[in-house]
Amino acid sequence: MPIAFWPAHWSRLQRSNATLATALLLLVLVMAALGRLFSWLPEPIGSSAETFADGARTTLWLTLVSGGLGLVLGTATALARTSRWALLRWGARFYLWVIRGTPLLVQILFVYFALPLLVPGLRLPEFAAAVLALGLNAGAYNSEAIRAGLLAVPQGQTEAARALGLRRRHVFLDVVMPQAFKMALPPLVSNFVALLKDSSLAYAIGVVELTNVGNRLQSQTFQPIATLSTVALTYLVLTTLITQATQAIEYRFDIEDRAR
Amino acid sequence: MTAAPYIVIDRVCKSFGAQPVLRDVCTQFRSGEVSVIIGASGSGKSTLLRAINRLEPHDSGTITIAGVPVGPHEATLQQQRTDVGMVFQQFNLFGHMTVLDNLTLAPRRIHRTPRAQANAQAMALLRRVGLQEHAAKYPWQLSGGQQQRVAIARALAMNPKVMLFDEPTSALDPEMVQEVLDVMRELARAGMTMVVVTHEMGFAREVADRVLFFDQGRIAHEAPPAEFFGQPANERIRAFIGRMGG
Repeated sequence: MPIAFWPAHWSRLQRSNATLATALLLLVLVMAALGRLFSWLPEPIGSSAETFADGARTTLWLTLVSGGLGLVLGTATALARTSRWALLRWGARFYLWVIRGTPLLVQILFVYFALPLLVPGLRLPEFAAAVLALGLNAGAYNSEAIRAGLLAVPQGQTEAARALGLRRRHVFLDVVMPQAFKMALPPLVSNFVALLKDSSLAYAIGVVELTNVGNRLQSQTFQPIATLSTVALTYLVLTTLITQATQAIEYRFDIEDRAR
Repeated sequence: MTAAPYIVIDRVCKSFGAQPVLRDVCTQFRSGEVSVIIGASGSGKSTLLRAINRLEPHDSGTITIAGVPVGPHEATLQQQRTDVGMVFQQFNLFGHMTVLDNLTLAPRRIHRTPRAQANAQAMALLRRVGLQEHAAKYPWQLSGGQQQRVAIARALAMNPKVMLFDEPTSALDPEMVQEVLDVMRELARAGMTMVVVTHEMGFAREVADRVLFFDQGRIAHEAPPAEFFGQPANERIRAFIGRMGG
């Protein structure tokens, strides 16, 4: 549902909300009806429709939860990197250095297999381990997107806010953050969509998500074209709906009407 | 001009790295007085202005506002900044907010003024600068001159006791300079204490109570405008006035 779909006299906010609501509603409907949709497909998909639907729901959950974690971690890390305290800056740099310098697959395996040995008692179930690893990974990349946004807000904005006598907190929350967030939004969306696809790596520790389901069926039925096409198509549907929602958010902040 | 000095600058020094920009600057700004600071770019006039509200902390010497030293203490500084309005060369309006929200942000956050009351006060200020019809617009929809008038209104929204102007017309197209100067003239007539860094010699002649000439980080000369422009104290000043078309 492109923005232009809505009546011309609607305000930016109304159009943005309408698109956002429609995209999210469609996402919920598609997820709920996925079992039925798959069951209409020919064999070997039709008979495994519910397994496929469960896999897709797991993929979406994995993405949403680790995406939320990644946004919180990313914001915290970006703030730490621009902090006045050297210790915070170093901590953030170290985190970024480790996460960006190692493969995501290794991180997932590490959290699942190695972490319980390093920290006794921290034996995470597959899903939680995948969320933690994906969230840590997304957080590192998000922090760079948010930091780029923070640095792109002109110095004059901070100066004007401080010159008015605003507290540091208000300078940041009212003046810097909204403008930084707007600039960070496109790369954040890219990261989120990448996360949706990267969540397929959770397959390595046995999370029964979409790719895992497809690959199992493929090896059982020896029909790679049908099964893997279904997997790919499902990812495409998910990413399409998610980008519609995020475009609506971008549109809301684009008060200069530049991204037409 | 018998009022007590409101801002006192005493032996203020400031360097950027090895480059001194303010050298032992001493002066006072009295309530109700309009002071115009002129001088070549890089002479330190903007730095002095920015040191008054500590956007640019000075290295040594003291600056006091109503007797209170300007220093690093955050709460004191915030209080002082509410008393000192500032207008920038590049306007620095908050681009993500409407004109009205630009004006109401500080009163709502600092004085916790209710939104309706803040809006009413902001509309009164916008009428004063002739922009009441543009309240719902965003800064990018306005001309440079209009943006600068909004910026003046935004600074006035905190009811400051003094207004600092840092080359307020230097970034404007020539045809927009007058509308900004008109607003500043009106402010001066209403008795606002003003410190104006500018290259507008006409404004200095007409509105200033005193003109300060900055040269290489020092106040090289100070005089009432009639004397300053009528009998330039030395060749350097005469040459500068000539170059500025004064």
